[in-house]
Amino acid sequence: MNKIFALTKKELHSYFCSPIAYIILIVMLSLFNVFFFLVIDQNREVSLRDVFQLMEFMLVFLIPLLTMRLFSEEKSNGTMEFLLTAPLTHTMIVLGKYFSMLIFYSLLIGLTGIYYLIVEYFGEPDPLSMLSGYLGIWLEGAFFIAVGLLASSWTSNQIIAAMVSYVILFFLYFSSSFTQYVGGSAEQFLIQLSTHTHLENFAIGIITPSDVVYYMAGIVLCLVLTRLSIDNRLWH
Amino acid sequence: MLIVKNISKNFGSFQALDKVSFEMNKGDIVGLLGKNGAGKTTLMRTLTSFITPSSGTVNIDGEDISKHSLSIRQKIGYLPEKPPLYGDMTVQYYLNFAAEIKGVPKNKRLFQLAKVLEECDLEQVKQKTIATLSKGYKQRVGIAQAIIHEPKLLILDEPTSGLDPMQIQQVLALIKNQRDQRTVLLSTHTLNEIEQVAQRVLMIKSGQIVFDEPLDILLKSTDPSQLGPLTLEQIFINHHQPQASKNTPQTPETTHQVSNE
Repeated sequence: MNKIFALTKKELHSYFCSPIAYIILIVMLSLFNVFFFLVIDQNREVSLRDVFQLMEFMLVFLIPLLTMRLFSEEKSNGTMEFLLTAPLTHTMIVLGKYFSMLIFYSLLIGLTGIYYLIVEYFGEPDPLSMLSGYLGIWLEGAFFIAVGLLASSWTSNQIIAAMVSYVILFFLYFSSSFTQYVGGSAEQFLIQLSTHTHLENFAIGIITPSDVVYYMAGIVLCLVLTRLSIDNRLWH
Repeated sequence: MLIVKNISKNFGSFQALDKVSFEMNKGDIVGLLGKNGAGKTTLMRTLTSFITPSSGTVNIDGEDISKHSLSIRQKIGYLPEKPPLYGDMTVQYYLNFAAEIKGVPKNKRLFQLAKVLEECDLEQVKQKTIATLSKGYKQRVGIAQAIIHEPKLLILDEPTSGLDPMQIQQVLALIKNQRDQRTVLLSTHTLNEIEQVAQRVLMIKSGQIVFDEPLDILLKSTDPSQLGPLTLEQIFINHHQPQASKNTPQTPETTHQVSNE
């Protein structure tokens, strides 16, 4: 556990030593704030439902920028050899990197907590519904980070890692839009595959086991595939 | 300490290592010689678990690498050809991170850090960012990370590559100082470096060990064509030229090695 913590610390240190972390935080928060005020101004509701859905859409674009360097940079700098010949299991390396991004993302989402206070100032929002929405958007980001980590383990090129992440995340996000071309079980499959379907429930205050399992299964699957990718040295 | 038996490694149809076997005892400093592409780096990466061999066994300190990779990595210090450094970290932060992931207990970490900073003469640059250091300092930071957890076996892949003569002497002195504490395998192209630090020479050619001799015996060998001592340089050239036999040394051991080629 100490070694995982050391890896997590190292990743966060690298992020905050460069302007990347601050730029991403400022860009993401600025976008979230603009959309928050637009939505609240237009809807005049004491609910963040539409805000969460807009945040989800923006995460599709922004998470790959966070994750693209995780393994790609280690590979191109030659430090992957250092990690893989140290007395660390591959699982420790994957979890160390994953947790670092999760902490960074949690900080970002935590900073949007002020939205609740603003809404509460103007009305009486349902705190449980808000909490459910925040849990949903946090799980969604955690899933997207796992996807980005996997894509980064496949290549030593950060741009390629980001592009592969975009392809996967766009497909996950928009899969429910393809239902008009298929029918039957394929239609149901595409609906269930879409992240949009699962976040919708959280955003309106409904937490169902199937939605939680969807995100958890996605995260575990991506982390296991990342571990296998490192085991087999799939990057090029 | 290290027993390598019939290690082979294939990358597709290319055979990088071909039944490599050798042993190293505790305290040995062995120089690994070979041209670019001869298999030096592949051999070292195999010993550090970075590459899995296609066949053969590696036993380090009584443990089989295929079964106890993690505990073996705890006993190995490795400096790859390109020092694995994080440019945005300070020397001290990086070495502390290396100590953490290499399992140095928290109560010993400060002591070990101070020890390698002194041993590698990095005290005056410990607060500097690695990206701003000269190549010589970077190489020393690379060696410091390799020895911070007191490994029993130190593997150095071209540790003097790209350094100026002064920096080379500093790095060689550092390697020499490891003699009493650990077993060292180092690769280089520069033959006089091997003469300065190693007790034994392994020569690798096309993935095969073609030469394995103690350095003193080797240097006592006579060169029949020049009527003088045979230098490592001549031996290296002899082994990499098609018509090498005319300059082969005359000791029974080396004659045997060359005839195997």
